[in-house]
Amino acid sequence: MTDQIREQLSALLDGELPRDEIGLLMRRLGRDAELRRAFGSYALIGETLRAPGGRIATGGFAARVSAAIEAPAGVAEAPSSVHTKTGAAHVAIWKRPAVRTALAASAAAVAVVLFRPDAGTQQVAQSDAGPVVQFAAASYSPTPAQSQRLASYMVAHSQYSTPMVRRNVLTGLLAADPGLTTVSYEIGEAR
Amino acid sequence: MSRPAAIHVAAACLLAFAGVSAAEAQTVPVAGEPGGATADASTATTPAGDRTSDARSWLERMSEALATLNYDGLFTHSSATQTESMRIVHRVDRGSGRSLERLVSLDGSGREVVRTREEVHAYLPDRKVVLVEPRGDEGSLLKALPTPGPKLDKYYDLSLRKGHRILGRDIMVIDVRPKDAYRYGYRLWLDAETAMPLRSVVGDGAGRQVEQILFTRLEIKDSIPAADIEPTVDATGFQWVRTGRKLAAMPQLPASHGLRPVFVPPGFRLVASRLQPMPGSPVPAQHLIFSDGIAAISVFIEPASGLGPRPPEASSMGSANAYSMSIQGHVVTAVGEVPAATVREIASSVAPLSGSATAVPASTTP
Repeated sequence: MTDQIREQLSALLDGELPRDEIGLLMRRLGRDAELRRAFGSYALIGETLRAPGGRIATGGFAARVSAAIEAPAGVAEAPSSVHTKTGAAHVAIWKRPAVRTALAASAAAVAVVLFRPDAGTQQVAQSDAGPVVQFAAASYSPTPAQSQRLASYMVAHSQYSTPMVRRNVLTGLLAADPGLTTVSYEIGEAR
Repeated sequence: MSRPAAIHVAAACLLAFAGVSAAEAQTVPVAGEPGGATADASTATTPAGDRTSDARSWLERMSEALATLNYDGLFTHSSATQTESMRIVHRVDRGSGRSLERLVSLDGSGREVVRTREEVHAYLPDRKVVLVEPRGDEGSLLKALPTPGPKLDKYYDLSLRKGHRILGRDIMVIDVRPKDAYRYGYRLWLDAETAMPLRSVVGDGAGRQVEQILFTRLEIKDSIPAADIEPTVDATGFQWVRTGRKLAAMPQLPASHGLRPVFVPPGFRLVASRLQPMPGSPVPAQHLIFSDGIAAISVFIEPASGLGPRPPEASSMGSANAYSMSIQGHVVTAVGEVPAATVREIASSVAPLSGSATAVPASTTP
């Protein structure tokens, strides 16, 4: 996958891809399995929206998502060595049935719905064939209470860090602008 | 450690790092990437094991310098979206030996963090709020934190080399490359005399720069006036948000004490567990701290307080990420200077543990 395609995926998920490029990219998604896997991992891992401060998923995690997509339905993915040690209590989010169904379906067709405070609900892209599964995610500015709570967590956390990390964390608190974006993923299940 | 002459460089030194080699300026340590790509002649003949050992030693010196020197500096903080000028004043209280510190944003939000002897005050003028957090027992805490010992080598590649001068000072460059995607990488430019970091870059697993701190002026002094630690924000009319009553007066956690993350990345171990009062909450959160010797991750577990299940939320502040979700009537939040996917995986793994409430999950043992 070229850097240009990666940028297009990111722009698509940010709702910033020019309309005339959306159809082209969606047609390519429909015929390119590798691209669909990349898209699924982008969307699922959560760095998909590339909101301020957002980052692209790391390769290891994307690979695991790809493995989840590739695994036959109903067959549990072989856990990592760490998971094996700790038993079955933890089921990573992308291994849960609902998400796996969504991922499998996403390989056939994808619709992305972005909720933004300034634009409301916006369906920015949809393939033109097959069943539609919606990855729904919301990107919004937190309430003052949420912002304070996050700041409290950061301050408390900073006290239990090495001097360098403490400086970095507190500096991040100073730098956070009032419009700090929180990304909320609707595809996860609240247990 | 001998006190050096004041490091004081004019604003032109903003461009000092322009003299840094292209490799130093643009490459960020990446997970799994072979280290030492730009080692110069002074280190090329040194055995790798010695270089790693030396790098660990420099990391320890850096931590000591940050905590024990008196200094006053200006720096720029750059993230993916913005660059701000900030000032840090650090004073070691002669009586208590505690670190007192003031960090202030000079051209951004105007936010200010002051660490007094007893409390940490975060002034948020954009919110007209002051958050107040009691300071922990840092002495015992620092002893509990893993030092960058040989075990660190299992999770990070460390390398050390001479770098180009910054602020007129000789520089040693340390690369801290994570061996997996659970952690960030660091490149640190340390003053060769004091081990103070004059520049630091945090990078993600793809080699992208997450955050950079670059000092444009740094003075190391014998003493810092107490007045320099006083806040400059006029907090008149601000809401002071304290973390609530003292712990002794708070009800104990009835259930969440049995919740623990089942998964933490290899190399992280539980170094502290405490009750953390939270603003506006009558019940403290369980605060678990995990560290691998470089990075730290906090997990807060608190009753949902009738809020009901909430959708998962991911947030970031600088290079720190947070992930919060509802689990079995509790709100679980993982926070750390690690990739977003890491805090999410840790938070989503929280589950009741049978047996001892203070048992360390097997996966946390390196």
